[in-house]
Amino acid sequence: MTIVDRPLPDRLQYKPEKIELDESVKKAKAALLNDIKRSVYIYRCDLGGCNGCEIEIFATITPVFDAERFGIKNTPSPRHADILVYTGAVTRPMRVPALRAYHGAPDPKLVISYGACGCTGGIFHDNYCVWGGTDRILPVDVYIPGCPPTPAQTIYGFAMALGLLGQKLHHKDIVEDGSVKAQLRFADVPYKVRTTLEREARLYSGYRIGQDLSDEFMEALERDGSVFANINDLIAAQSDSRKAEVFRKLRGDLEDMVVTPEQQEAQLKKGLERVVPHGDQPDATTQAILRGAGVQ
Amino acid sequence: MFKPIKEMMRVGNATTKYPFAPLERPEGARGKPEHDSANCIACAACAVACPPNAIQMVVDPKGGTIMWFINYGRCIFCGRCEEVCPTKCIKLSREFELAVMDKNDLEETCTYPLQKCSQCGKYFASAKEVAYAGDILEQQAENDEEAKRARELLSVCPTCKQKADAYRAKRRVDTVGDPTPDPTPEQMDEARKQADKNKAERRKEARF
Ligand code: SF4
Ligand code: SF4
Ligand code: SF4
Repeated sequence: MTIVDRPLPDRLQYKPEKIELDESVKKAKAALLNDIKRSVYIYRCDLGGCNGCEIEIFATITPVFDAERFGIKNTPSPRHADILVYTGAVTRPMRVPALRAYHGAPDPKLVISYGACGCTGGIFHDNYCVWGGTDRILPVDVYIPGCPPTPAQTIYGFAMALGLLGQKLHHKDIVEDGSVKAQLRFADVPYKVRTTLEREARLYSGYRIGQDLSDEFMEALERDGSVFANINDLIAAQSDSRKAEVFRKLRGDLEDMVVTPEQQEAQLKKGLERVVPHGDQPDATTQAILRGAGVQ
Repeated sequence: MFKPIKEMMRVGNATTKYPFAPLERPEGARGKPEHDSANCIACAACAVACPPNAIQMVVDPKGGTIMWFINYGRCIFCGRCEEVCPTKCIKLSREFELAVMDKNDLEETCTYPLQKCSQCGKYFASAKEVAYAGDILEQQAENDEEAKRARELLSVCPTCKQKADAYRAKRRVDTVGDPTPDPTPEQMDEARKQADKNKAERRKEARF
């Protein structure tokens, strides 16, 4: 019997208790969230992230993004903080320091879960030594996803907490009944040609740009008129020589795939010869096909 | 004294206007993975590729549905999903304003029907995925007959296909006899000698 078959019984598992707010604190907090007019001080608490989030927080207070123009100031002590920013997936040893910082800050205070780690555990969510997110132990007010969140994402999160901007993302449940059909991309381009071109383009310039370039190339293929004339037009229209080079290479790959009528006939003959092994007498139907293809 | 002021005037203000004005993000900036549910075939390639399991699939074999689920709060914006998606229906957008007050708002689901096997009647794959595979085979088919046959074969679940193969093999053994009888000791010796010879030849070739 494996360990997977027998999970650890619940009584042997420690589950962190989440702090619940009482009514008066909740009310004070709602009032604070409603009209926070003064400058807010933030205290940043790293609960075992990779430090990427910290770097982005400091990028946020540089002159380019300048979080201090909203009165947001970084403070070195939770005693002065209005907002606690927690980064990292909450490792087991960091639970108690997290709680100390939380209790150290005066009520009402806001808690921000910062980064994918803070929101849900992120890339470390199934690690053995993490609780997987700030909200496992603390009541969280704002979640700022991102790994790490860019300074703009951070500013958005703070602006939302301070009521400057509204929330954009909302929960969505879509249920399809089977009437919608997925579209085949570039249905007019033969499947093998499409996959070969996509693969080659990805080899030339990576999956993202390569995909965009092969899409552009295939749009040119689907256009009316001569295929190679369209492609030459596409190449001529490029101002970026790197793009033109990739298109030229793709044109070469396409030329390799083009089969002339003579080649096609030769291939057919070869294929049919393979169908009928030496020494066997082909049946009447095969004989007819062979005659049609010029094989005696 | 005027020099620093002059310098300041020359350099100007470097601070972005955001959040009071929209922020222009450069092309290729990684933001929210945008999912086009109409073109998704629920193939689960993205769920397999997603490093932090931000995308997951939940199959309900009784209800006959498969659910695509994403948690933007866990996404690390690596772009693996868009790399593997066969229909290119998931793509990282430049959208970055993802912060929420309620964790539930970070989640999104899309539910798709499953396909029933035409033989045993059990659900076995996403219906849209089967239809999509049919479209691709139809695109490659030489004639209508072949396309129809491909679609028929696609609507059979792997278990039924295996069973059909097994029955066919059994029928063949019953009528024609064992297709691959055990080799005799002489045949074994012969094969072993041939293999040694091949090996020696390969060695010889490798030396040059
Ligand atoms: S969210 Fe990403 S960047 Fe931030 S601490 Fe976690 S792993 Fe590092
Ligand atoms: S970008 Fe990466 S982490 Fe985000 S959903 Fe796609 S595969 Fe998952
Ligand atoms: S890989 Fe694309 S088509 Fe497949 S389930 Fe994911 S989003 Fe849908």
